[in-house]
Amino acid sequence: MTNRKKLVGLILFVMAIGLFLLQMIYFYLHAKFFVEYSDNRLFYVFNIAIALLFGLSMIVLFNMKRTAKIISIFMLLLFILINSTLIFKHPIPQIVSVSPDFKNIFVVKEIRGEARYYRTYYGIFARQKETLLYHLKGEYKINWVTNDVAALTYKAMDDSLHQFIGTYGDRGSGISYYYVGSALYGEWKGSNSSISTHTEGITVNHGGSKETFNWDQIVQFGTLAVVLVDDHEAKWIIALNDDFIMDSGSGIGVAGTISLFQASMEHKEILILKR
Amino acid sequence: MKKLFFIVSSLVAVILVISIINYERSLKDSSPSKNIVNPPVSEQKPAPLQPIPVTDRIGYTLQNNELNITYDNGINWVTVPVVVDHLFSGEYNGNKTELIPDSFILSDKSAAFLTTIGPIKLIASLDNGATWQESIVYENAPAIRFRKVDFLNDQFGYVILSGDRTMSQEWSSIFITNDGGNSFREASSPGTTRLIYNGSFVNEKIGFLSYGVINPEEPDFYVTTDAGYSWNQASFTIPEKYHKVFVTAEEPYKEGDHLAVLLNQGPNGDYMGGKVKGKFISFDQGLTWKFASEVAPNDEP
Repeated sequence: MTNRKKLVGLILFVMAIGLFLLQMIYFYLHAKFFVEYSDNRLFYVFNIAIALLFGLSMIVLFNMKRTAKIISIFMLLLFILINSTLIFKHPIPQIVSVSPDFKNIFVVKEIRGEARYYRTYYGIFARQKETLLYHLKGEYKINWVTNDVAALTYKAMDDSLHQFIGTYGDRGSGISYYYVGSALYGEWKGSNSSISTHTEGITVNHGGSKETFNWDQIVQFGTLAVVLVDDHEAKWIIALNDDFIMDSGSGIGVAGTISLFQASMEHKEILILKR
Repeated sequence: MKKLFFIVSSLVAVILVISIINYERSLKDSSPSKNIVNPPVSEQKPAPLQPIPVTDRIGYTLQNNELNITYDNGINWVTVPVVVDHLFSGEYNGNKTELIPDSFILSDKSAAFLTTIGPIKLIASLDNGATWQESIVYENAPAIRFRKVDFLNDQFGYVILSGDRTMSQEWSSIFITNDGGNSFREASSPGTTRLIYNGSFVNEKIGFLSYGVINPEEPDFYVTTDAGYSWNQASFTIPEKYHKVFVTAEEPYKEGDHLAVLLNQGPNGDYMGGKVKGKFISFDQGLTWKFASEVAPNDEP
């Protein structure tokens, strides 16, 4: 056996042990802090990876008898098969979506009849942050309005349309809360649509039709987005884009763009508006 | 080397198999049961009942659109057989998470609630909510504005009602029971149609009704000394200084060998900030009153 082969085998072995330790850390974190994998199926994926790494390092490191080899490989394949089956038969509905720049992950899991929104840590771990107001019927779609604003559009059990916005950033100094509604104060225009924010609320003008939403019909998510609601159904979402610049004194957006996005199960384009 | 490798990998394999079983079990606990029909969205989970305290142990709550009362600070609850909306019907626009003050009694001995839809009824229990009885206070059904129920002892109690208001005139009446609320008789009335402010009995004979809610200029105060069969207007000797200042009489109370009552400044009073009251006393069972002192807002008996 060459030294090089031995080194590769050892590295594979150490990686397997490392992943195994990660699984054990997961169990500890789960018991102590209710941490979950951001996608529950990651658990099985790691198991399969551990099995593959062990198998490879075994083949690289040792010359085994034929029968021993067959038995070991059979055991490994069986283990992988079990884990693969569990991946595909996973009982908990999950919505996991990664942002276009791969920096943020939007996670919603349906547990005990509740749709729960999770915050992720280091990509693989997640903790529940809040519960969605309505129970998902099954139909849903996710749009990343910007790299740090994900809009989940879904039908509730009574067929009403709702939106939940996951936000992962901030356009202010990052240290204080601000109202998106007041940051939008004034007029914003796009090619075929515009919004106007005034003391009564927000008026959306799209394709010739106008609709005004009072402040109590405007629901803020994080510090990046608002959803305009009519009769308990989501109609529009307005999100502050990456280039949105806010005057820190007045808390009003002075430059940059915002996104206007219609709530619908059908494909809708994200409309970009500017001052 | 080889031995170590296989021991470690077998150990890992065994632990992982156990972990998988554990993981699956934890998922099963949290996955939605397929057999249970999902509740409709609008239906909210019943929140644990939070008592609104009346005394330190006794409380009630109007959560979940029913009236529940507790005698042990929220450990055990009794549901009162009453439709919550009936407790608020009439001319009432306040919040419906708490009962209207004076429209109910909740004490160690008894619980009683006025319902003001249709015939005005008193729903009462004398055994901590085990049994309930309903008695009719008033057959007619005006739109009730003022409502008050109180008992001086096990037997004697009274209900004061007003309603059918047009502008600043209304019907008002007082109903008296001598059998613990089983039956009520309508007492005679002073014959005024001004808006009633309050009323009370200090004992089984002597009672008072106070009128004047909108822009009162002087107390309009009636007294009965024969349990409501006849009423006389009480007269106040108000010093010039307090004329048109102390205008509305509150509930009289016994003080030594005489009666005392506080006169407040009404809704528009501005003397010394508007909260100072005038104390008047009477030595003739409430017929004539003379000024005693000013009472600061936090010095009230």
